[in-house]
Amino acid sequence: MSASLVTVFFVAAGLLAAGVFTAVWRRDLAAALAGIPLIFAGAGVAFVGVARFAAAGGPHLFGQEFAVLLAIASVALLALGLGIAGREGAR
Amino acid sequence: MDSLHAIGFYASSGVSVIGGLGVALLAGRGRRGAALAVSGIGLAGIYVSLGAGFAALVALVCYLGCAALVAGPRYRAIEATVGAAWRQLGAVAAGVLLALLAFAAFRGSFAQAKAFTETFGASDVGQLLFARDAFATEAVAILVLVSLVGGTALWRARERSR
Repeated sequence: MSASLVTVFFVAAGLLAAGVFTAVWRRDLAAALAGIPLIFAGAGVAFVGVARFAAAGGPHLFGQEFAVLLAIASVALLALGLGIAGREGAR
Repeated sequence: MDSLHAIGFYASSGVSVIGGLGVALLAGRGRRGAALAVSGIGLAGIYVSLGAGFAALVALVCYLGCAALVAGPRYRAIEATVGAAWRQLGAVAAGVLLALLAFAAFRGSFAQAKAFTETFGASDVGQLLFARDAFATEAVAILVLVSLVGGTALWRARERSR
């Protein structure tokens, strides 16, 4: 059993589509914000997969660096969005 | 990738995608938060099986934080005014997006290379951000600062007009 870059891209596409589905399906806008971390997770998996499989001779660490930044950005965006939602919902 | 890592990759992928679907479909904040935590644990497993241990640690902490935020009581529900037909159309569009991305990955014929297995830690992130990518980091920081100041100014102007 083995996994290739195409398999990693399939998983990344699944996570990204699950995030988009969450963002458009939830009637509550604050709950729809939970799709943002899933979208960023899909992008991060794709970056790490490229860094693992297809970056020979290139900047190897860029994929992992960007995955770290995406994880931090996802929690920051979610906190900002839920903070705004809490303020607007209190009006 | 050896069999053990491949099994870990597939198992973690299943856990992560199932958790993501749970975030979309489950009712209740607690359940959605738990589903997001499960998805984050699966994501960390994917990173570990791909040799990105530090990214897995950061992702685990960040996604558990996201789960705590989603499950917490500090925000109120805001009902969207979009009709059910538009939501269903958006869900179909998400399915089409998945099909397009899967087709692009299948037909892409991406180059295969031998696995890269160097260690990666916080010092490497610092070196990349503040040495090699210093100009790009400063540009992004300026953009974020300008957007935050602009957003604050717009919010204050709207508050005064009320």
